[in-house]
Amino acid sequence: MGFYILSYLCFLIFILATGYLVYRQLTLPVHVRWELYPVQHETADRAAYGGSYLEELNWWEKKQTRSLFNELRYMLPEILFLRGLWKENRLLWWASFPFHFGLYLMIALFGLLLLHALVILWSDYPVTSSGAMRSFLNGLIVLTGWTGLILGNIGSLGLLYKRWADPELRNYSSFSDYFNILFIFLFFISALIALSGDPQLEGAKAYAFGLLTGGVSLNAYTPGQNLYGGVAIVSASLLAAYIPLTHMSHMFMKYFLYHNVKWDDAPNRRGGSIEAAIMENLELKPTWRAKHVEADGRKSWREIASSAPKEVK
Amino acid sequence: MSPSLNPADIATPSDCLCHIEPGELSPLPAPYEDFNQVTIPPLNPEKVKHLETSLDDTIAIGIPKPASREEEEALILRFLSGLKKLFEKENNWTFLQPLMLSMEHCAKCQTCSNACPVYEMSGRKDIHRPMFRAEVLRRIYNKYLKPGGKIIAKLTGDIDLNWKTIARLAELSYRCTLCRRCAAVCPIGVDNSLINHEIRKLFSQEMGIAPKEIHDKGTVQHLRVGSSTGMNPLAAKDSIEFIEEEMEEITGYKVEIPWDVEGADILLLHNAGEMLAWPENVGAFAIIFQAAGLSWTLSSEAAGYDAVNYGLWYDDVQFSRVAVKHADIARRLKVKKIVMGECGHAHKALTVTADRLLTGELNVPRESAMVTLEEIVLRGKLRFDPRRNDFPVTLHDPCNVVRAMGIVEPQRRILRKIAPRFREMTPHGVENYCCGGGSGFAIMSGYNFAQWRNLVSSRKKFLQILNAFDGEPREIPKYVCAPCSNCKGAIRDTINTYHAEERSGLYYGGLVELIVNAMADMKKPIIRFGDEPSWKS
Repeated sequence: MGFYILSYLCFLIFILATGYLVYRQLTLPVHVRWELYPVQHETADRAAYGGSYLEELNWWEKKQTRSLFNELRYMLPEILFLRGLWKENRLLWWASFPFHFGLYLMIALFGLLLLHALVILWSDYPVTSSGAMRSFLNGLIVLTGWTGLILGNIGSLGLLYKRWADPELRNYSSFSDYFNILFIFLFFISALIALSGDPQLEGAKAYAFGLLTGGVSLNAYTPGQNLYGGVAIVSASLLAAYIPLTHMSHMFMKYFLYHNVKWDDAPNRRGGSIEAAIMENLELKPTWRAKHVEADGRKSWREIASSAPKEVK
Repeated sequence: MSPSLNPADIATPSDCLCHIEPGELSPLPAPYEDFNQVTIPPLNPEKVKHLETSLDDTIAIGIPKPASREEEEALILRFLSGLKKLFEKENNWTFLQPLMLSMEHCAKCQTCSNACPVYEMSGRKDIHRPMFRAEVLRRIYNKYLKPGGKIIAKLTGDIDLNWKTIARLAELSYRCTLCRRCAAVCPIGVDNSLINHEIRKLFSQEMGIAPKEIHDKGTVQHLRVGSSTGMNPLAAKDSIEFIEEEMEEITGYKVEIPWDVEGADILLLHNAGEMLAWPENVGAFAIIFQAAGLSWTLSSEAAGYDAVNYGLWYDDVQFSRVAVKHADIARRLKVKKIVMGECGHAHKALTVTADRLLTGELNVPRESAMVTLEEIVLRGKLRFDPRRNDFPVTLHDPCNVVRAMGIVEPQRRILRKIAPRFREMTPHGVENYCCGGGSGFAIMSGYNFAQWRNLVSSRKKFLQILNAFDGEPREIPKYVCAPCSNCKGAIRDTINTYHAEERSGLYYGGLVELIVNAMADMKKPIIRFGDEPSWKS
């Protein structure tokens, strides 16, 4: 039961920490534009060479065309296959891709295991009781598990080696950088060893079933009987709690880095919501101390911006 | 070879953290091999004895050494107070979200280093890695401003905060041109050049530390006198009068440049440096706009005849003041739009960055001259004889126009029509390399900084230009089209430094000069290569 409590707690921390990170981003003030081209939601012809709507004569009189399709066409290979790294840092890609794809497959595996547990719980329905469907799901679980763990182990070892052997990376790496990779490697290697004794992932299925049913395990399987399985469960649970507390939250925070900065090209139109947000910002009262700023904590940004400095420094 | 450095080394006591030896800079090809053993000339010890010089071989700011230990301590505390303000919305709403995201998500993969021309050309000196200075700031922030930071720093990366750390960090923030190639290649989207921008801002807005060329003689003079060149409105009018006369003499075309026309369609904003250094650029704009029958005007109001906004590079407050001034002049002139002349940072400052600053009637529409000119050239408003531009032409992409605004094709469509021997650099467009003069470098020349710029930060662009004209005979004049005043300044200095006019036949200029040079109605060419006209009348 202790395993389940740990998993629930870690999952709760994951939700709370991720929720906090996202909430904090959503409540930050509107910032000035700082986009970088190519912006992938542009029209396909412009996105291809990095053009923008600012290339149009009297652009403000025209409706801005944004393409979600273009954005997805770019983002999917970027997220799944790390296209940017392939283009800009090929040597690192050979380690980084299996590492990241291994992690994606572990997330997918977790989803499939929960689905499998639901199928068992709802086995009275014709769809879920279908033998073909269950066989397909079981096959998918095995394929995803094995592929993900093999890739993850290769990737973790590759990243560890790169960080240790490449002076460019080693010189900038701290204890936590090695610890993070080792932590993830611990999960991958323990899960792979556990898998070698349980190639159909029956233990993992049982644990997922137990997670959904408050610790009632399937087929009398008790997690922790197998040392490696136990280590895999503990490390996976702790990782889920740990990742949002570190820079590794870039896995999902990348959304904000791209959409709220790099691709944030939304123009400020009179009477629009951006203008309203700017007007609020302009009422904020800065306290910068250089004399030329002439901030005293009482003057607003609006007052300061519409004045000329009396002092030079 | 210097030993490798990591961010913690910025605090170590030494007279020079990073020195470039002869032969360490990236090699240049023939006929420039004689420059391969040239390095940055040493600083004059007499001139710098009271200044902080412990970062490398040059000085951009010239920070006075503190007189006492107490003064050092006070400056350290002031630095920390500024650092804290960078993360407060009252003080930094302008960049808070981008800064936080970039501070928290760097994976230290070094992909950015290989994209940085300064790092590459410097002989791969660690201090020029885009993440070096960003990592210094991250470590100081994490250690000194976060709860439990001093313990966590042992695990996540330690650093000592002393006066050396601060003085070197301030100088180091002026070794990056803010070209943002590093941000463009980051797989995560982290922008280490933005962190560099924020470091500059902290020093300026909290400590009053900034290079005099961009602050005292830059934004302060701009707001006080009317232009960062020092030209007051009267001098600006005189310059324009001179340009009108010059244009008629050079091209045989009589042009009248309108001032302060209320209700004109267009307020044209030039970098005032053009009036002094490249008057033919201002004249060429006037010829094109007049010949195309546009309704346009210049402003003679202080700051209205100088599009620059150096605040973009180092200080949000000064940036806001200049942007508001520009917009207010346009509002009172009741123009339909502002057209930005050939000045890259002014493009980005007023069109993009200030877009989230100007509200209500101050939000006057802004357009790039590249777009306005494309409409004129491609829609048949003027007649052209492209044979008049029968010489090799390449295009330099100003980072602020291209990578920061996505204005890539209009200038190319123009060149394809009027310059039959146009060829691209490699890489180009949004992947371009900076001219080396970005973020204020083109106008900074105190101590030996200009030599550093010409030898290090402009080196990659010089190599690109040479490659673009590879195979062309030396004696044939070649034209580097740089539609940006700062880029032109940097390219001019590069050509002079390497004697590239004599050795490779390199010349440079703007886009409008090429347009006017190809206009069928011109009696004489506007472009000359040395003493030779570019075509015979």
